[in-house]
Amino acid sequence: MRSIWLIARSVLIEAIRRKEIYTIVLLSLVLIGGVLSIDFFEIKGLTKFYREAALQIMSLATALTVIVLSCRQLPREFENRTIYPLLAKPVGRFSFLSGKLLGVLLAAAFCFTLFMIVFALGTLYLGASIPWIHFLEYIYLQMWAMAILATLGFFLSLVMNLDAAITMGALFFIASDILINGISYIYDFVGSWARGVLAFLTFALPQLSLFDFSGKTIHSEVWPPLGIETLGILTLYAMVFTGFYFLLSILLFRRRAL
Amino acid sequence: MEEASPIIEVRDLVVEYGKGKRKLQAVDGISFRVERGECVGFIGANGAGKTTTIKVLMGFQFPTKGEARVFGERAGTVESRRRIGYLPEVALYYPFMKARELLELYGGLHGLNSLELKDKIPRLLTQLGLEDKGEILLKHFSKGMQQRLGIAQAIIADPEALIFDELSSGLDPLGRYDLRSVLLDLKARGRTIFFSSHELSEVETLCDRVIMIHKGKIVSESRVQDLMKPLNVFEILFSLPDGGRMPEILNRFHPVQEGDLFKAEINEVEGYSQAVSALADAGASIRHTFSKSTTLEQYFIDLVGKS
Repeated sequence: MRSIWLIARSVLIEAIRRKEIYTIVLLSLVLIGGVLSIDFFEIKGLTKFYREAALQIMSLATALTVIVLSCRQLPREFENRTIYPLLAKPVGRFSFLSGKLLGVLLAAAFCFTLFMIVFALGTLYLGASIPWIHFLEYIYLQMWAMAILATLGFFLSLVMNLDAAITMGALFFIASDILINGISYIYDFVGSWARGVLAFLTFALPQLSLFDFSGKTIHSEVWPPLGIETLGILTLYAMVFTGFYFLLSILLFRRRAL
Repeated sequence: MEEASPIIEVRDLVVEYGKGKRKLQAVDGISFRVERGECVGFIGANGAGKTTTIKVLMGFQFPTKGEARVFGERAGTVESRRRIGYLPEVALYYPFMKARELLELYGGLHGLNSLELKDKIPRLLTQLGLEDKGEILLKHFSKGMQQRLGIAQAIIADPEALIFDELSSGLDPLGRYDLRSVLLDLKARGRTIFFSSHELSEVETLCDRVIMIHKGKIVSESRVQDLMKPLNVFEILFSLPDGGRMPEILNRFHPVQEGDLFKAEINEVEGYSQAVSALADAGASIRHTFSKSTTLEQYFIDLVGKS
């Protein structure tokens, strides 16, 4: 466990010192600017707009950070040859990859924490209350979506080059909703074999929209928080996909000559 | 049981890269052993198969055929790596980390706790001439400094065996001197050392035994002292007294004048003792004499040239 933590720590240090997370800081500042401008123009009653913008930016920026970080971990280790002294230590490849995953998730948590502060300050500045339970559920589900994206990033980086992996990861994040909606839409209009393919894709591709609790967080006065049972099922769903991509990654990585 | 077994054992190792027409045999059925406490040099030209063999020992490359064992374990397992310190051919470390943080990471992975690391890291940095560099980001380190840090990370857990790929590559003369001191100290403490190097003088100085590899095959495996055979060639450096004449016997060997000194190369044992007596009789001052022997470099060039 200690080796996993040590590797995770190095990923987090990298993410912070390489200024990759600074993009998030910059976006946070834009967000604050947005809040201030709302006040400047004396536009009132736009708390919901602020919430929506904040949550969308939070999700998009963190997802892109996670995709870039996860896709870059292994190729960068190979390219810079830093993997040799590291794997010369008594660390198994499973622990190595687990450490990398934990590190990427810590970086995601760091981003979310930063955004939480900005979100909370902005909401209080607008004189609105913070729907804490909704918000924390939103963060919890987003963290699972990030876990899926991170393991997908590892997998993609092991089967294609770095640029292609980042592009595919980003495309998947942006287009997964469209893809799943598209599948539902055309399902009724295709033949039986194509239906089989579509049904397979529906279950084979993780539906990241399931982890987007932003709508209910924005309209928290109408929607109750999620129950434990729903959260449990979503957690299980995320664990299956995270585990699946992680397993694929470890199978590819463990027999890879360096 | 384990004490008697070799630290490194390679048997009929074959490593191939690529498939079909693109297949390249990097290592072609080599076998060797490195015993406990030995210092063994692994030398060969570029592309001979040195790095591939070392990669197999570390588990970075998988054998096509044959096997490699380290401390009796299959090479590359976590257990086999627990007792090894390794320095890669090209030592590059995380540029975003400080030297201290890097050693904490590697030491921690070796199982050292924070108290041990706190004690060891400053000592190691001092030993390798990096005493005031602990808090500097590695992106500011020169190649030589990175190599010194590489040595530090390899020995941080005081491993029983050390495997170095291209020892002293990128080090300046001072760095080489420091490295040699470190290795001699490790050798004196009974550590097993196996390293590849292009610096054959280093191999001569440090190693008990040398394994030569050429085109994936082992072409020689000998004790260093057995290779360094005397050539029965003696060199004498001397000066003559003012007005003194060159003894007759010396003229046979065509001495060369270098400033006030003369240098003669004598290729017969009897002639050497006669020349020394004649110089003493003539009142010459003998500055030094030494017996020439085969260098490892000469041996290697002869051997590889032949094959």
